[in-house]
Amino acid sequence: MKWWLALPVLAWSVAVTAQDDAFPVAAWSRTASIDENAGGLSVRGAAVFNNWCDACHRNAAQNAPGTRSLEFKYRGELPAALEERTDLTPELVEFYVRNGIAVMPFYRKTEISDVDLAALSAYLTSD
Amino acid sequence: MPNPPTGLSERQFRNALTRFEEIVGRDWVFRTDEDVALYRDAYSPLWGEEEERHASAAVAPISVEEVQDIVRVANDFRLPLYPISTGRNLTYGGSAPAYSGSVVLDLKRMNRILEVSERDKTCLVEPGVSYFDLYRHLRQNNIRLWIDTADPGWGGLIGNALDRGGGYTGTDFRDHFDAHCGMEVVLPTGELLRTGMGANEQATTWQLFKYGMGPWIDGMFSQSNFGVVTKMGFWLMEEPQAAKQVSITVPRREDVFALVDIVHSLICDHTIPSQTTVASPVMNGSTDPELVRLRTSGGSSDADWNDYAQSVGRPFWNASFVLYGAQKVIDMQWEHIRDRMGVIPGVQFRETASYTFPLSDEEAEAVPDKARYGIPSLNLFGSRNAPGQQPSEGHLDFSPMIRPRGEELIALYDLTGKIYGDFGLTPSAAMGMMFHARTMICFHAVPTFRNAEDNQRTRALFETLVTSCAEQGWNIYRIHAHFQSLGMSVFDFNDNALHRLHETLKDSIDPRGVISAGRYGIWPRHLRGDDA
Repeated sequence: MKWWLALPVLAWSVAVTAQDDAFPVAAWSRTASIDENAGGLSVRGAAVFNNWCDACHRNAAQNAPGTRSLEFKYRGELPAALEERTDLTPELVEFYVRNGIAVMPFYRKTEISDVDLAALSAYLTSD
Repeated sequence: MPNPPTGLSERQFRNALTRFEEIVGRDWVFRTDEDVALYRDAYSPLWGEEEERHASAAVAPISVEEVQDIVRVANDFRLPLYPISTGRNLTYGGSAPAYSGSVVLDLKRMNRILEVSERDKTCLVEPGVSYFDLYRHLRQNNIRLWIDTADPGWGGLIGNALDRGGGYTGTDFRDHFDAHCGMEVVLPTGELLRTGMGANEQATTWQLFKYGMGPWIDGMFSQSNFGVVTKMGFWLMEEPQAAKQVSITVPRREDVFALVDIVHSLICDHTIPSQTTVASPVMNGSTDPELVRLRTSGGSSDADWNDYAQSVGRPFWNASFVLYGAQKVIDMQWEHIRDRMGVIPGVQFRETASYTFPLSDEEAEAVPDKARYGIPSLNLFGSRNAPGQQPSEGHLDFSPMIRPRGEELIALYDLTGKIYGDFGLTPSAAMGMMFHARTMICFHAVPTFRNAEDNQRTRALFETLVTSCAEQGWNIYRIHAHFQSLGMSVFDFNDNALHRLHETLKDSIDPRGVISAGRYGIWPRHLRGDDA
């Protein structure tokens, strides 16, 4: 993750909307109705990346099977870590999230909504 | 918009979806081709073929009440629903329905961790909660409990348990269905049920005592289609003081008899607490032509195999597991294990990792074998493992279950190695995994593709593996949605009496056949004989 986004992302990731139920709602639960204005698109996009992409595509030598696979694919011609890329476009990000590639499956809108996808694209295509 | 389910007119289908929108809101009913395509099975062995299973729409509720209302509407229209939790049961069908035309009931939005009790060592969660979610919660709140995660951390506790998946930690936790305690179910009529002690609203022991009173029926809701599970309790493992991961190797092929017997004994007497994998560094070595010849021969001699093992300089078998607990107890367990194993000539012992807990974030990140310590990851999801390698596109799990005996492990891989060879494929890695204390699961990856020609071969291979192993008494414990009728068909004692009872129950509990038609081969009366 881009370091300057770390703090607002943490705040975003623990946001919660209470629901009407007999059970107490834990403060860490995430819901689909998180405040979309909290911190702007890039901040939200960083949180989306952290939640859905980081486990495969983090910028690290280990625990990043997607990064490793892209390293073998590009062989130094392009950065293997997505957050290091400067050539990504919103269309490209959207294509892979909604179509998948190789063993990476596509993501449903209950996982990454259209708003979250726009935020993710903004994050990955920002300088 | 996709075609309506069989038996419904376009108008009826539209009306049903409108009713769903009134329940969940327009944003959470998915009806366009583009949105519904996201519910395909990403690893489908029928990708792009006419028989591939497709949803007709999807609806995503956020509460139990919404689930009940949706199920009632489905009854009104006799509309087939297919509930999924996180929808990541890849290699077993993913989020695609078992019956084409079903509306997927996507429970991912129901993602609340309702309760974690550190004192009772339990949790209560909704279907959309993933292993990652619960792990993050435990870490963020400094709760000294472990989850037992499936290999892919994006899987859901409820979905994986209901499909009877497994993990790697303590004996009481890694059989995920066995580790559950109490569930809430929306029945196919829309009525709400709680099982075990939860049937009493005042009970303080819903997540502590499984049975309640009367017949214990939780098993009916696993690998089945008798309801929609909306809450489930689980037992969580107390974080141990320490852990030691070890490896025991033996040099010869025939040493596996004693190795597995002793491992089994040590698991049953509770000396070894963790999942134990017995794998062959020799058989899983490479694509060396001599190795492929031995693997696909159908049964080469011990002498031939041992010569080969000597030529590659590797021990034939390796047993790996983890000891959890107080450090001084672990040290004594390890000493006892070495004493027991010492009867095998040439046995070697190695300590591969040691930890004391809790781990810092950095230490947890550095753990290579994460699932053995309740740390979720996606580390098995690499497409390429070497430069220039053709990326893999997916696979099916074929996992027959055998007795924990070395001779069965060898016989199984002799048989399946030959079958892979007959289909022109390199045999799957050879390993027996003791997810359960009294059986071994022998995982085989069967590759899937995005083209029909290769997938036709995959399906033929898979079907041959299922039937050939069943003839030897080695049945599978779980199976991809496309093959579930085949899988159930081999459980055929007394003219398939078990399957006939499943259908009797289906007719009684779900008379309009609205929940997960075809799942594990259980079809509602009006669809029997039509597996389309």
